[in-house]
Amino acid sequence: MPRVLLIEDDPSVREGVELGLRRRGHEVRAAATGEAGLAALTEFRPDLMLLDLMLPGMNGVQVCRRVRERSQLPIIMLTARGDDFDVVIGLEAGADDYIVKPARTEVIEARISAVLRRITPSGQGRTAIEVHGDLAVDRAGLSVSKSGRNVALAPSELKLLLHLSAAPEQVFSRQQLLEHVWEHSFHGDARLVDACVARLRGKIEDEAGSPRYIQTLRGFGYRFGPL
Amino acid sequence: MRRARSARRTGVVAVVSAVVLLGGCGIRETDVIEAGGPATVQTFVDHDYDMLLFFHSSDGGITPVIRSVNGGVEYGPEGGPIAGFDPVTVDTVPVPTEKVILALLHGPDEQDRAAGLGTSLPPAPSGRTVRVEAAAAGDGVEADVPVAVEGLDRTALRQLICTIAYSHDADGRATVGLTGADGASASGTCGLDPTVRR
Amino acid sequence: MTSGPGRPRRLRLRLPRGSSRADGRPRSRAFGLRTRLVFAFLLVAAVSAGATSALTYRDARNALLKTAQDTAVSSFRDQVQQTGWGLPIQREGMEEVLRDIARKGKPRPWVVFAEYGSVRASSGENPVSTVITPELRRAAHAHPNGSFERVVRDGVPYLTIAMPTLFRTGPEGRLPSGLVLYAVMRMTDEQLNVDALLLAARDGALPGLAVALIPGLLAARSVLRPVRELRKAAQSMGSGRLDTRIAVRGSDELADLARTFNETAGKLEGSVRELREAEARARRFASDVSHELRTPLAGMLAVTEVLDEDAGRLDSDTARAVRLVSTETGKLAVLVEDLMEISRFDARAAELNSDEVDLAETIGKTLQHRHWTDGRVRTELPSGIRARLDPRRFDIVIANLVGNALRHGDAPVTVSLRSETRSSGPPVLIVQVTDSGPGIRPEVLPHIFDRFYKADAARTRSAGSGLGLAITQENVRLHGGTVRAGNLPAGGAVFTVEIPLHVEEADG
Repeated sequence: MPRVLLIEDDPSVREGVELGLRRRGHEVRAAATGEAGLAALTEFRPDLMLLDLMLPGMNGVQVCRRVRERSQLPIIMLTARGDDFDVVIGLEAGADDYIVKPARTEVIEARISAVLRRITPSGQGRTAIEVHGDLAVDRAGLSVSKSGRNVALAPSELKLLLHLSAAPEQVFSRQQLLEHVWEHSFHGDARLVDACVARLRGKIEDEAGSPRYIQTLRGFGYRFGPL
Repeated sequence: MRRARSARRTGVVAVVSAVVLLGGCGIRETDVIEAGGPATVQTFVDHDYDMLLFFHSSDGGITPVIRSVNGGVEYGPEGGPIAGFDPVTVDTVPVPTEKVILALLHGPDEQDRAAGLGTSLPPAPSGRTVRVEAAAAGDGVEADVPVAVEGLDRTALRQLICTIAYSHDADGRATVGLTGADGASASGTCGLDPTVRR
Repeated sequence: MTSGPGRPRRLRLRLPRGSSRADGRPRSRAFGLRTRLVFAFLLVAAVSAGATSALTYRDARNALLKTAQDTAVSSFRDQVQQTGWGLPIQREGMEEVLRDIARKGKPRPWVVFAEYGSVRASSGENPVSTVITPELRRAAHAHPNGSFERVVRDGVPYLTIAMPTLFRTGPEGRLPSGLVLYAVMRMTDEQLNVDALLLAARDGALPGLAVALIPGLLAARSVLRPVRELRKAAQSMGSGRLDTRIAVRGSDELADLARTFNETAGKLEGSVRELREAEARARRFASDVSHELRTPLAGMLAVTEVLDEDAGRLDSDTARAVRLVSTETGKLAVLVEDLMEISRFDARAAELNSDEVDLAETIGKTLQHRHWTDGRVRTELPSGIRARLDPRRFDIVIANLVGNALRHGDAPVTVSLRSETRSSGPPVLIVQVTDSGPGIRPEVLPHIFDRFYKADAARTRSAGSGLGLAITQENVRLHGGTVRAGNLPAGGAVFTVEIPLHVEEADG
């Protein structure tokens, strides 16, 4: 069972979520501040971080940026609906997904497992490494390199790239990507996709302004290539 | 609404009155307006040789005519000597009033009648004398006339008085006393001169 | 039924304002203030100009006539005094003398008539004049004075002068000769002059009037300017700028009006500000309450599962109590979320996260996600209709309408989709949700979208939060659309959503 680091300042939420997840078998470490959470990171070695955006002192977005400087630890933000601006900033800072509070434990757990779910290779007889231009995608090793240099991708970014590159030149709508990559309902928040695409382009494209790999089709969605 | 209507009505009244004020224009008729005195025409009376006889005109007033004693002979209506009146060579000037009275009583001549003049006096009976003398007091004159004064109308009396007055005096301002053949008497002034009345 | 209960009334309210604006300012009314002011000014100018002209004209005319008359009378007298007559006057030769006088007539030749006793003569063709009146004749006989009379015959004015004559009897004595001379003069020249005068008066008055128009307009302007400012200010206040004030100039009635306007505007602004503040406080309160409720709810909701799982191991009363707490916590969470959503709409903080979607697919996913795929819900969803909208909000709209139909009407519920081209404006997307129930009662219809409105007073709580249709309406409005409720002729409620289609201006 995954190890979850929960950073939440409100005691009742912290305790409730911790209790719910622990009942479902997760190993949970709870921290009341961002600083405490970051300190627990190296020692606890979590598989995933649940991060409240509104924190005293160092806030959730800052924590998110700090984590992304060093690792691609899956990060799910806890937000309240209406804090739309914070959600966008959080996603730009590198969070993989977000959960709107209040949420039942089953929802939280479903989101956790969705983020952690490994992308299973879609075709059995395929070669492990696909090459698209300068990009080499290792579906088995779940790693991506560009011009021979490894590119560190957050889980959502990696899954998005794998999903798109599995069917080059096929157009996926945002809603479809939300459903398949994030396992959200069809009517999820399309900004999740846009933010993730922006981050991914920043890492793999030569020029983020004129993308080559992840292309936008106005009014329809995104596709991989054509190169 | 009512105020607007009344304002409009006053406006209309004002405009109409202005139009009337301007438009009651042109030259209108007037009443008879006096404008100065009468005109004095160039008619000369020679008191020595002319007699002023007064006859009545068609409008009821009396009007003077000038009868000249030409060459000391008085002519009758036919151009000859006056009938029943001795052609007298008048050798005294001015013409004696007695003769003037007789000329008056003799009546209008042809020219006078042509101008529509007539007399209210009865014709003078012959043989009666006329006597005139200055009054005892003032500048009056007393005359015995050969007609009955009683029964003479106003016009006839005025004819006599004016004729006698203007014979006696060029300005005709004397008071005339009349005594008739019947013994009746009357008196008065002529009063035809507008300058005296004024 | 083509329109909902609230919408048409608002339209009707707006139309007059819109139309009056479209017409612009009605510049000149038939009897507007400006017209009346200018008219009054012109009237005063007309009366004074007219009166002045008329009086001047009359004086000038009288002077002109007097001069002509006096000249005529005195020159006639002079001429008559030049003539000599024997008494009695003879008919013969008279006309020659009269013609001589007539020739020397001033200012113009006269026709001279003479009357003496029964003698009548003239310088003209007729010995007796038709113009000389009996009054003049009588006056000439009664008083030995010159006199004249103006007579109009057939529109021609004549001056008739009567001149009785005297003659000298002695140094002082004068006697009426019985001769009366009359002069008759046509006053045509004078008439021309008088007409010219009249024209001059009129020609003077009319330009005067025209000139008076300019100060009239200026005066009207000076009066109307504050009025115009007042109207602009009132208009500005009407369009919501309550801080509009007018500059007060002078101390006349209009200044008083402006002052009153400003005071009223100030009070109105104060009242509106208070109202707005009160409303904002109320909204903030609702929002704050929801916010504060959310944090404890988040904790509670996370542990409801623990309660549910362990309830089986507790004794029955405790288990029932625990399950009740768990269920109600879930409902409370939904209610608080809905309240938060409504607060955001009220605060205009609701955002549209638009994306271009295929509508048949979007509605299908909504039904599928809610597990309404078991025949209770039928669909008429033609494929290929795409629209740019917020998928999450559109999902709420469809889910709320279908959920409401299933709860309050009877299955089957039909969801139909079509697009329609309108003569004006963009094409619209029309979604209709109809149920097979008894329909909505007429008295309920106007309130169906009200918050917490209970169609049935006995049913104090429905399965929903009571905010579902209100949130639906707000979401549709956020898309620039409308939602209407009505009944089918055959029974059954029908909700119609219309949203303008914006496809081309899509942006990633």
